[in-house]
Amino acid sequence: MPIEIITYLVYLAISIALTVWVAHTLHKNGRVFLVDVFHGNEPLADSVNHLLVVGFYLINFGYVSLALKLGYDLASAKEGIEALSVKVGMVLIVLGGMHFFNLFIFSRMRRRATLRNAPPPVAPDAFTSVREA
Amino acid sequence: MSSLTVLYDPACGLCRRVHAWLEEQPKLVPLNLVPVKSEEARNRFPHLDHEPTLNDLTVISDQGAVYFGPKAWLMVLWALCRYREWSYRLASPELLPTTRKVVSMISQHRYQISRAAGWSR
Repeated sequence: MPIEIITYLVYLAISIALTVWVAHTLHKNGRVFLVDVFHGNEPLADSVNHLLVVGFYLINFGYVSLALKLGYDLASAKEGIEALSVKVGMVLIVLGGMHFFNLFIFSRMRRRATLRNAPPPVAPDAFTSVREA
Repeated sequence: MSSLTVLYDPACGLCRRVHAWLEEQPKLVPLNLVPVKSEEARNRFPHLDHEPTLNDLTVISDQGAVYFGPKAWLMVLWALCRYREWSYRLASPELLPTTRKVVSMISQHRYQISRAAGWSR
């Protein structure tokens, strides 16, 4: 088998494994956040969690597939490993970026939800009786 | 706390502008805007001293908690979806003195500001 094909196959194997692992981590640990955001509404949290992971998979596999092409011939195994390293490095950086973006979304959703139930910013000056209208 | 009553001065152009703006804002807590010293205000709050309400914006919760001046402004911000975060920021120990100064300045000069901006009737 030519070195290029081996490099491609190893690249795909590593990228897919990494994407699945990160998505799995996100899915497992993001759930707690979402359940809190949706006030314990677990079906809704699970649904949003699942939709986020689907988006995550689509973007990452899209990137992995677009970045597959090497564009030059590999003369030796050494060059193959170097090319592989560059490609996998790029996939890792994209995964890292996506992961932090997801965390940002989770924390923003949570902040909004906590704000919704937050107490008044100041204590009252006095109390009076209220007659119902 | 499920609603806030805001006693505002209908004679001031600036207050009427703010009133119109408030009506459009999405709210986390419903705001009930009532003109100061009106029949409705006296009926709803029979034991409140209504004299100071003409000088300072007054906000009263449905449970009878009364907020005057700068605190009332902060409570109005707190009731709005988009500005709740700002209410905490402006109420923080670092910013509260400035908030108080700016709010009292606007309150004291509200008729002049309304006239200068052309919002008087």
